[in-house]
Amino acid sequence: MEAILTVNNLKTTFLTGSGAVQAVRGISFQVGKGEIVGIVGESGSGKSVSSMSILRLLPGTARIDRESSIVFDGQELTGLTPKQLRQIRGKRISMIFQDPMSSLNPLIPVGKQVEEMLKIHHKELTREQLRRQVLELFGQVRIPEPEKRLKEFPHQFSGGMRQRVMIAMALANKPDLLIADEPTTALDVTIQDQILKQLRTLQQESGASIIFITHDLGVVAELCQRVLVMYGGLIMEEAPIDDLFENPGHPYTMGLMASIPALNQDKTGRLPSIPGSPPDMTNPPQGCPFAPRCPYARKICAAQCPPYVSLGENRRSMCWLLQPDAPAENNPFRKEAAR
Amino acid sequence: MQTMENKWEMLEQTSESREKIWSRNRTFAADVWFRLCRKPTAVAGLLMILLFMLFALVGPFLTSYSYSDQSLEMVNIPPVMKVYDVGSCRVYITPSLKLIRVDENGSLTGMLPVVRYEHEKSMTIFDCDGKEVALYYGRSVYVVCDEATGNIYPAGHIWNHDHLLGTDALGRDILARLMYGTRVSLMVAFVSVLVNLVIGILYGGISGFLGGMVDAVMMRIVDIISTIPLTLYVILIMMVFGQGLQSIIIALGLVYWVDMARVVRGQVLSLKQQEFVLAARTIGSSSRTILLQHLIPNAMGSILVTATMLIPSAIFMEAFLGYLGIGLRPPLASLGTMCNDANANLRTSPHELLIPALVICLIMFAFNFLGDGMRDALDPKLKK
Amino acid sequence: MNENILEVEHLTQHFRLGRKEVVHAVDDVSFCIRRGQTLGLVGESGCGKSSCARSIIRVYDPTGGTILLDGTDITHMSQKQLQPLRRKMQMVFQDPYSSLNARMTVRDIIAEPLLAHHVVKNREQANSFVYPMLERVGLTREHADRYAHEFSGGQRQRVGIARALVLQPELVICDEPISALDVSIQAQVVNLLRDYQQEKGLAYLFIAHDLSMVRYVSDVVGVMYLGQLVELCGAEEIYSHPLHPYTQGLLSAIPVANPALARQKKSGGVAGDLPSPVTPPAGCRFHTRCPFAKPICSQEAPCMKEAAPGHSVACHLYD
Repeated sequence: MEAILTVNNLKTTFLTGSGAVQAVRGISFQVGKGEIVGIVGESGSGKSVSSMSILRLLPGTARIDRESSIVFDGQELTGLTPKQLRQIRGKRISMIFQDPMSSLNPLIPVGKQVEEMLKIHHKELTREQLRRQVLELFGQVRIPEPEKRLKEFPHQFSGGMRQRVMIAMALANKPDLLIADEPTTALDVTIQDQILKQLRTLQQESGASIIFITHDLGVVAELCQRVLVMYGGLIMEEAPIDDLFENPGHPYTMGLMASIPALNQDKTGRLPSIPGSPPDMTNPPQGCPFAPRCPYARKICAAQCPPYVSLGENRRSMCWLLQPDAPAENNPFRKEAAR
Repeated sequence: MQTMENKWEMLEQTSESREKIWSRNRTFAADVWFRLCRKPTAVAGLLMILLFMLFALVGPFLTSYSYSDQSLEMVNIPPVMKVYDVGSCRVYITPSLKLIRVDENGSLTGMLPVVRYEHEKSMTIFDCDGKEVALYYGRSVYVVCDEATGNIYPAGHIWNHDHLLGTDALGRDILARLMYGTRVSLMVAFVSVLVNLVIGILYGGISGFLGGMVDAVMMRIVDIISTIPLTLYVILIMMVFGQGLQSIIIALGLVYWVDMARVVRGQVLSLKQQEFVLAARTIGSSSRTILLQHLIPNAMGSILVTATMLIPSAIFMEAFLGYLGIGLRPPLASLGTMCNDANANLRTSPHELLIPALVICLIMFAFNFLGDGMRDALDPKLKK
Repeated sequence: MNENILEVEHLTQHFRLGRKEVVHAVDDVSFCIRRGQTLGLVGESGCGKSSCARSIIRVYDPTGGTILLDGTDITHMSQKQLQPLRRKMQMVFQDPYSSLNARMTVRDIIAEPLLAHHVVKNREQANSFVYPMLERVGLTREHADRYAHEFSGGQRQRVGIARALVLQPELVICDEPISALDVSIQAQVVNLLRDYQQEKGLAYLFIAHDLSMVRYVSDVVGVMYLGQLVELCGAEEIYSHPLHPYTQGLLSAIPVANPALARQKKSGGVAGDLPSPVTPPAGCRFHTRCPFAKPICSQEAPCMKEAAPGHSVACHLYD
């Protein structure tokens, strides 16, 4: 598949009073044309920061490492001036955020805000054309009574409806890549369900690529084709969606999956959990970031960061236990093989 | 890849290693201090305040003058004097057309006696160690010259060694008066902080915490107090207690906490809705505990910022009252009364006004810088 | 000794919004919790489940109904009369960030209930309770002198739980304790709560919007919609035989953590948005979004009745 976005060795650091927070510590990935890639991780894993780094929507204290490279459709983004970047933002790459309320201006009618988005990149459109396009977009994202709602203000919209407006805005200029940063986290399950369905149909209609960032493996399973699992600022595992769920290639992924109770699960036993807390990124662990919480951790895990091991097409994972010389005893990957 | 012994041995994991918190254990105060120290303007402000405190508290012990010592011979002398070398000694012309002998260090050693007046020549003849020198006042720049030849003696500038900042219209040492004036200003600052921290916090805290009718009544009282200008209070209080510092302090104490009370009330009202306060209520903690342990410590950030921001206005208020002449009773000095005293001789001795005015500015600058730095240091949004 | 630690009957909680408007946060909700059991309360945000919890713990003054805590009517007690009873009932809050006082050390936070109820006289004495409690929730003694803002979300929530459990209450109200936490941490917290229940036999009112977790921790599950309880039954029953159309919709909206199953999933879920609790729809409040709505649904409000043994539902479909 042809890649629309290639990220190479991305490192992003925040300078704070208590030291430099190494939020993203060198990640590389690709997004194919028309592909939906999920980035899964806990809070503090660096998943949001990596997506923000692509469009450089970072606070002033953030620094992107010089060796990082972000190539979008053949164009290197890291060296662009803010002005050049603005040409890409919203037109070719657009974003949807977790909190739609703070992304919308409370004083301007929503229809107007979507129009603005269109006008920035299409100055030639007349008022009537703009209006028609906005109506069409509202129809696409299934906002009922679009004529009436155009003139309403964000506070008159429910959370789900606001997120639809955000999606309409993001799709306004027919972007090639849509970055959705936990767009459903603040919503209720029933609304999340509606939004996910919508995103799926919209993606099929427009053919845009989507990077979908979430902490919920369930959401990823419903939407994405390929998944990156992030922890401690690193990509722990990358896999096509079916392979990941059938045969997780990293102890962290295993732990994550086990801690979601299935609706048919026996409830007499304890829920499998991952003990401990995520690492402090001002002082990231020297070895594998998951080692202190990993049930299979060896001495080497705490001492050195493991290299990636390819587990097939589009599949790689970072774990010492995947090395050929790793012992079979208490090794989750060997048991699989034996079975 | 480096080789490692027993690399496949199981890693020992403890609850400690999993739950380890790496950041240094810093209290809130230490955290704020740390951020404050990284802001140069705030540090400069703090240093200036410390210097002023040293100046006001220790200074008077280092000078031989007191704020009330008058010397009618040495009036309105500037810090830098223009002196004429008449041969045997140097002389300085005072604004009241007298000659003072100055030695080479810049010390004033006494007045020269007048020999006679030569009105038609616009000259006054003085006796300088037996030599007659003339003060010519026929033109706007007065000069010392030889009576017979009219030759002007060579002139030069010299620093006033006896009165480093000069003297005022009554011959009092400005430096000494400045120390006392700064002392008054800092005292006013201290009183305003004290009043704010005690009355303001408690009043605002209780009003916000109890809410409802109590809040409405307490806030209307605050409204009434704040609508009457402070000047009026001071004048009224002076009728009762007489003119002096105590009246200003009482006036400040009675009314200066209203801004703080409003800020604290607002904070408490918003904090009251936070879950940790609800938690304290569900625990069964007493109202006292909730107010003193939960609400006020969390409002402390805004409280400190408001306090440091209110100090300059209190200092200015005192100086302003002093300037209007309703402050301290002479010969007591405050920066405001010093400015007022200087008004009469503004044209001939501008230093008498400039110096105390500059000190007022510097003190207010220092507190404003500090307050600014405090606000940044206490703002959790900038912490990230 | 009462069989039920908590009995809630016809609880109603309204809030005034300006002069005329009234928010119907909780309307006529009845349920009871047995000793040592867990009642799960589920619903979308804005359905009144948190208001319900806060009325029960009497942070709010209920508009109507009765609340019996261990047989004692606490509905209209003053805060002073309530104070000693608060030992029996504690609460865990949703937001691990705002529910802990940022200016207090963890030691002081956990010691606060002990001091409030005069279990200990000073902080030194409190240590003998605080240290075991910290270790019980998986933290260490070194954490005692740290401030809440230095902890991660999961650690904070465990501190919040330690604060609620240190008095050994008989009922703990957990108001969405896991909603704000990461998946890997949610299981830790749930396990902690369950283990403690097995040890001490305390009861929970567990509020969540996450149905899968609620099923796991609860004995009985209640589903709330717009201030009303629409279904109440055993935890297994509600997942195997959901009766109310809203419950069915909620269940089918849960994302399935299995891509193969997710692709097969029927189009289900609930369409539309939650109506405003200021002007709730007449009749059955769910009729605006219900796929099976009949004419009667918009006219007459259904009442809770037993559709099967131990399974109550408020829906005209089961009349």
